[in-house]
Amino acid sequence: MITHYTKSGKETAALGRRFAKTLHGGEVVAFFGDLGAGKTTFIQGVIRGLGIKKVVTSPTFILMNVFLIKNKKSKIQNVVHIDCYRARSSNDIVGIGVLEYFNDPRSVVLIEWPEKITNILPKRRIDIKIDFRKNDARELKICDKTNTATRKKSAKKPHA
Amino acid sequence: MKKENYILGIESSCDETSAAVVSISGASGEESFSIRSNVISSQIDIHKKYGGIVPEVAARSHIKNIIPVIDEALSLSGIGYGEISRIAVTQGPGLISSLMVGIEAAKALSYIWSTPLVPVNHILGHIYSGLLADNNTAESIRFPALVLVVSGGHTELIVMKSMIDFKKIGQTLDDAAGEAFDKVAKILGLGFPGGPIISALAEKGNPNAYVFPRPMMKKKNFHFSFSGLKTAVLYETKKSKNRNKKYVQDIAASFQIAVADVLKEKTQRAIKAYSAKTLIVGGGVSANTMLRSAMQDAAKKNSVSLIIPPIALCTDNAAPIAVAGYYGKIAKSYGISAEPNAEIGI
Repeated sequence: MITHYTKSGKETAALGRRFAKTLHGGEVVAFFGDLGAGKTTFIQGVIRGLGIKKVVTSPTFILMNVFLIKNKKSKIQNVVHIDCYRARSSNDIVGIGVLEYFNDPRSVVLIEWPEKITNILPKRRIDIKIDFRKNDARELKICDKTNTATRKKSAKKPHA
Repeated sequence: MKKENYILGIESSCDETSAAVVSISGASGEESFSIRSNVISSQIDIHKKYGGIVPEVAARSHIKNIIPVIDEALSLSGIGYGEISRIAVTQGPGLISSLMVGIEAAKALSYIWSTPLVPVNHILGHIYSGLLADNNTAESIRFPALVLVVSGGHTELIVMKSMIDFKKIGQTLDDAAGEAFDKVAKILGLGFPGGPIISALAEKGNPNAYVFPRPMMKKKNFHFSFSGLKTAVLYETKKSKNRNKKYVQDIAASFQIAVADVLKEKTQRAIKAYSAKTLIVGGGVSANTMLRSAMQDAAKKNSVSLIIPPIALCTDNAAPIAVAGYYGKIAKSYGISAEPNAEIGI
């Protein structure tokens, strides 16, 4: 786990842009944090960092935004921004067809309010937890479970 | 000629399933639009329980509601399906699973009735909704017109050079104004939808009690940002545990005026920059009393006419979709599908 500290929304978005450079496709990134923590701000940075110039608005109302990367050289073709804020259960999210993007090597999936859909969240994922510090400062904990999830599983097996 | 007179509109982009029959009369350029029927199967009671719009319930309800709603709209209108000249349906933007229900129903009816199908943009519905107000006709809009669309999912400024020529000049860069209302209501521990609740509380509160930021108000562009304002309200409420009536009313009033100030300032500036002759306001948030008076004031100060829908037609409904269908293009095939991220002229 890596912990980052930012002093402003601008810095949070800049961290998102840098984080984008570590993505290769196939990742599911879950963003934990209260209203106003800066989940959308960070994600705006990630999407910008992946080369999308379109305005990234909050998908709270339409639930899911899919951005297409037209650059043929990019391994990542879809950037999927999901907001579970309005969702009551994971069925709501399954119903709009998000599962096809999970673990798809051509897609990066960024999820706000993932706690609403824990039962369908892939175990191999990256968790980003954003906490409030003083004023606009934030603490961001990035926990990469893309490899550990499977390792833990196999380590458990002999005891099962 | 009679066949050109009635349009069936179908809207299912978010939480409402709606169908309407609108009649069009008058010569080209002077059309007046009147609602023969407008059925909205409001799901707001279901949503209240969960503190937000519930998509799965919404999508499922659309499937359940769509045929009875269309049936009811036709029967209330007194118009037989043979007299319907076009079927207009919302293609996007919206929630994909919800949009699909309306589109598939419209396609099926179009095929069975041999009636032309017109896919329309949801935003156009908000733009044209003011034409359904009494006394307004197509002539009421003088061009160029400036449009402000404010709803739960959108906050956009659009320049309209003719009934079919639109250019988006600005939009929110993060949260929509209506979303800010909903989330501030949530922060204050109030119910859903946030708009009417905040508005009612604000009426009794002091708008100068707290000074919240007016995001991007001084910036020269026509974009908006409401995410920071929401956070500012959050910080203020974290300062004290006080949640008495007066406190909540003052926060609501101070928040609401910050939203109205930004919307008014940018709208006025856009009217001047584009020499607009008419100001059109639409979308769910245009039901807000304070915003309505701010827009009346903006129109008066700039000597432009104001077109704003009656309160009942501000939120999502199918009647303005039928009007949009009158101005829209007939689909050439049934290959059309939902466009969740559809945008109008950029």
